[in-house]
Amino acid sequence: MANPVPSACCVVLAVVVVVYAQRHSQQDSHIQYERVGADVTMKCGSMDWDAAVTWTANGTDIDDSHLNGSYLILKKVDLTQSGQYSCYEGSSWHLKYQTYLRVGVPPKEPVLMCRSNNYPKGFYCSWHLPSPTYIPNSFNISVIHGTREMVCEKDIFPKNRCHIRYLQLFSTVKYKVTLTVTNALGKNSTTLTFDEFAIVKPDPPESVVAKPVPNNPRRLEVSWQNPSSWPDPESFPLKFFLRYRPLILDQWQHVELSDGTSHTITDAYAGKEYIIQVAAKDNDIGTWSDWSVAVHATPWTEEPKQLTTEVQITGETLTQHKHPALRGPGYG
Amino acid sequence: MAAADTPSATLRHHDLCSRGIRLARKMRSDVTDLLDIYVERQGLDASISVAAVDGVPAAAAERWAEQTGTQRLLDNLAAYRAFRTLLAQMLEEQREQLGDADAELGPALAAVLLQVSAFAYHLEELLELESRGAPAEEGSEPPALPRLSLFEQKLRGLGVLRELAQWAVRSVRDLRQLAKHGPGSGMALGLPESQ
Repeated sequence: MANPVPSACCVVLAVVVVVYAQRHSQQDSHIQYERVGADVTMKCGSMDWDAAVTWTANGTDIDDSHLNGSYLILKKVDLTQSGQYSCYEGSSWHLKYQTYLRVGVPPKEPVLMCRSNNYPKGFYCSWHLPSPTYIPNSFNISVIHGTREMVCEKDIFPKNRCHIRYLQLFSTVKYKVTLTVTNALGKNSTTLTFDEFAIVKPDPPESVVAKPVPNNPRRLEVSWQNPSSWPDPESFPLKFFLRYRPLILDQWQHVELSDGTSHTITDAYAGKEYIIQVAAKDNDIGTWSDWSVAVHATPWTEEPKQLTTEVQITGETLTQHKHPALRGPGYG
Repeated sequence: MAAADTPSATLRHHDLCSRGIRLARKMRSDVTDLLDIYVERQGLDASISVAAVDGVPAAAAERWAEQTGTQRLLDNLAAYRAFRTLLAQMLEEQREQLGDADAELGPALAAVLLQVSAFAYHLEELLELESRGAPAEEGSEPPALPRLSLFEQKLRGLGVLRELAQWAVRSVRDLRQLAKHGPGSGMALGLPESQ
């Protein structure tokens, strides 16, 4: 004879499943998106207008003053009213309807930027919304070059960026990039049109180092590296712009360097700490990078000798000779 | 004709490439200035789009990184020979339209035409060094232009100059690739990762 215990368990389990399914089939559960400031009316599923019901918001009973019959009326909703709304049949407390209200706004025109920091491999476009919508948005980007539609491969991270590989170089035909943002309350879009050269902007130079030059109180040796994102600096060389100033002054001095990744500053003020930055640009096209991370350096200074005061007594005259290091301002 | 792989040929190759790069960069700078003058004198909007014009060599290249050195030189030479003819025609049209009243555009066009001719000659020298020799120019007469309205002529001229500006940049890149790989290299000169 079969063991009756497992059979009984199965029966109980089946009943629980059926009851659960019945209960959840009696109500609609979904997400509802509404604009800030809108008036929202929620019906309690298939219940009649005059049915006795109770509404809750995030588990808290809603006052009858918000009801019109069995309908829930929310006037000029605001962001704080987002949440789960549930409707229960009066006496049985059966859940008849449930919705998740998301209050938000349609998207404003997105901000789109495209740039090539790895020329001539390709370029990327990135975007963001100028203000939040408070509800989910989806973005669609199209890139057209002449009559050809190009694929913009979305980055996994960050999510608001995609990149395009150049299929042609040196084209006079402009690229047209259109970004459309859509949410449940509306859509908006923006378009950028540009030519291949205009968006070329390398990343800043890397590993900027500034060192004093021994025995040279007015020199600083600066070196840096090409940005690692620039794929072929030998074929597509960069030029550089170096700026430097003593910390105590506001005015920068500038030097443009057409080749090489080092430079010696020869007119530094002795003993003053300097701040130095470098920017990069393709030799022929595009725009300057942002400034590199700033580095600080102070030119070499002579070690102060041991401080002594020599006193000579000559006749009846007492002559005091001060060591040069102890002399006042104006020295060196 | 010097063999492509002798030390003197290598030096000459490097010298020709360097000078060619300087010529191309100067040409690009002057074409950019010429474009400003042209747009202003012709009463055009600088942002106007011009469709591809028949007979104007397009600088756009697919698989540019995979081109051989010889192919680069041949493409450049064909382009600049075409531009030489196109600019001469533009100069002629310019003189007909504005005559002596134009003290700026005509001379600027003529100066760029001179540079284009010089650059074409420079490319021929490079090809000689590659032991290839420059191909003969096709025909002695320029191709007959279709009859265009005055406005169409102006747009065509704009298209010519814009494409020439692109070619000048491309030529700098092409010559750099050539310089990198030395003379007599008919092998593909690719980037570390293909474009």
